Amino acid sequence: MTQLAEYEKVEVNPELEEKAEKEKARRGLFTALPAYVYLIAFFAIPLVLVFVFSFASRSRTGTPVLADWNLESWARLFDPLVAGLAWRSLWLAVVNTLLCLLIGYPFAYWIATRQRSSTRNLLLVLVLIPFWSNFLVRTYAWRTLLDVDGFVTQFGEATGLWGQLLFTLPAVFIGLLYGYLPFMVLPLFAAIERIDWNLVEAARDLYASGSDAFRRVTLPLSRPGIVAGSILVFIPSLGAYVTPDILGGPNTTLIGEYIVTQFGAARNWPFGAAVSSAILIVMLIATIYYFRSGGRTL
Amino acid sequence: MSAPAVTLSNVTKRFGEEVVAVDEIDLEIGDGEFFSLLGPSGCGKTTTLRMIAGLEFPTEGSVRIFGEEMGIRPPNKRPVNTVFQSYALFPHMSVFDNVAFGLRMSGIEGSEVDRRVNEAIELVRLSGMGKRSSRQLSGGQQQRVALARALVNRPKVLLLDEPLGALDLKLRQAMQLELKDIQQEVGITFIYVTHDQQEALTMSDRIGVMSRGKLLQVGPSEEIYESPANRFVAEFIGETNFIEGEVTAPGEVKLSNGTLVKARTHSEPGSAVTLTLRPEKLNINAPDTAVPPDRCSLEGKVHRRIYYGDALFYEVDIGTVVVDVMVENRPGVPRWSEGDEVVLDFHPEAAEALTE
Repeated sequence: MTQLAEYEKVEVNPELEEKAEKEKARRGLFTALPAYVYLIAFFAIPLVLVFVFSFASRSRTGTPVLADWNLESWARLFDPLVAGLAWRSLWLAVVNTLLCLLIGYPFAYWIATRQRSSTRNLLLVLVLIPFWSNFLVRTYAWRTLLDVDGFVTQFGEATGLWGQLLFTLPAVFIGLLYGYLPFMVLPLFAAIERIDWNLVEAARDLYASGSDAFRRVTLPLSRPGIVAGSILVFIPSLGAYVTPDILGGPNTTLIGEYIVTQFGAARNWPFGAAVSSAILIVMLIATIYYFRSGGRTL
Repeated sequence: MSAPAVTLSNVTKRFGEEVVAVDEIDLEIGDGEFFSLLGPSGCGKTTTLRMIAGLEFPTEGSVRIFGEEMGIRPPNKRPVNTVFQSYALFPHMSVFDNVAFGLRMSGIEGSEVDRRVNEAIELVRLSGMGKRSSRQLSGGQQQRVALARALVNRPKVLLLDEPLGALDLKLRQAMQLELKDIQQEVGITFIYVTHDQQEALTMSDRIGVMSRGKLLQVGPSEEIYESPANRFVAEFIGETNFIEGEVTAPGEVKLSNGTLVKARTHSEPGSAVTLTLRPEKLNINAPDTAVPPDRCSLEGKVHRRIYYGDALFYEVDIGTVVVDVMVENRPGVPRWSEGDEVVLDFHPEAAEALTE
């Protein structure tokens, strides 16, 4: 008995535990080292550079000058034009995320509840097939479909439901929804598939109707998938460039295109950097908030 | 008097074309009874329970609860609750919310929920644990929450699907008695599914033994153990010896080794039977011991002795088969060794002649 107590005392020795923890962390660092090097060189440092450039000034010809540090570029963010663009991008990203969720959830649920795993795998492959071809190519394909003589426009005109869609906001929505839906479906599928269906049966057994069981059990338990999918759709939607550039028109300019213009035609690197940094901060806050709210189930 | 708690009439459940999970079961379970469905895994006992719960619907036949035809009524509209094998506690809810789920779903609100939930938590001796997350509980505690979550709704029938299966032996034995106490306290019908014959014998008023979708025998624990209806039941419940033989006269069987013994027979002279004799019903004696006239004897030779701690098992070769004999390990009881000639004796009442 005393021997056992002695043994247990040694086992809970905090010093030893701490040492073991440190050792573990050291080993972990070693395995993650290549990734760290890569991320620091190609992600962290460029990001810091962007941030630094946002406080720089530009010469008369437009070349960025790393001197005369100022907040001018940041102040311009509140310019109505920029704020308007940012606002449009934000609600477009929010609406696109909601649309993806609305369409993606039933679909992911349907896949996850197929009995045979071979059926589930086949359906997942179908979701992934679009990724086998280039995003740009696929977006141009939509352009063909949405153009005056394209199938979608022709169908809309024949039925009188809609006219030409290309270069309008609906076209941008169609493109974004098409492009990011798989990013919603996959994490949702993973979360729903993991749900223990005994829990749903238990809810039904405890007097919950089908919809109550869904609302109280299935939906809360698929929350990790909802959070992950929303983040995966929201972030690229907010910064979307290719889709609005190809499918949108002059009235659908989004913040992503605007940033490109600043670094390109407008030759205003500091301002482009400031807009980029601002978006980054907004995304970071949104993501942290979103993770926190769903964090317990993640 | 009143209608039985559960009536199954000619209930069959098929999955697909070929699998018959439950095969034409007829069963009546009385109000307030502790009834166990006992059988090996895959025998259809869980499917039967699920059909009562409404989680499956019978392919044929009818399920009635207190006389009311259930048909394809969904589980939320049946006056029964289930304790699931895996407990199925909601991981995103506290103990309190788990237990309160059924009450809230049936529209009960406010202080009544609090009162009844706390009462149920107290009944399963988890007072003070309400705020814990269901994931912070040990297996035994989860089991109690699952029980409270079902009982709080005061169902007319409580269905339990191997609720103690995941617990270790000591805890399981303690919970068996506790469950029985709780059942007597709340006075509702318990239908208990298990593959553990000891558990079924300990807790049940009546047992239904199932195999391959069929209900083989229904009766009180003692009847199932003492007079099994067939070989399967005899073998599944406890240990037993089978000795082939032939009925020579009512109450008399000639065994395969030529010995003539008395037994409980139910068939005509001339029919082939299998005698079932439980190891603890046999005595083991020195050769040429005078066996009392009301008992039967069998001669044999000790083949092996197995030490069980609380008992000794002797494998005795009686010529055609090897018979197990159990002797309690008490001081002064003579021990036999391999190769010893012995005489076994038993009371004819302990020998049941089975025809199937």
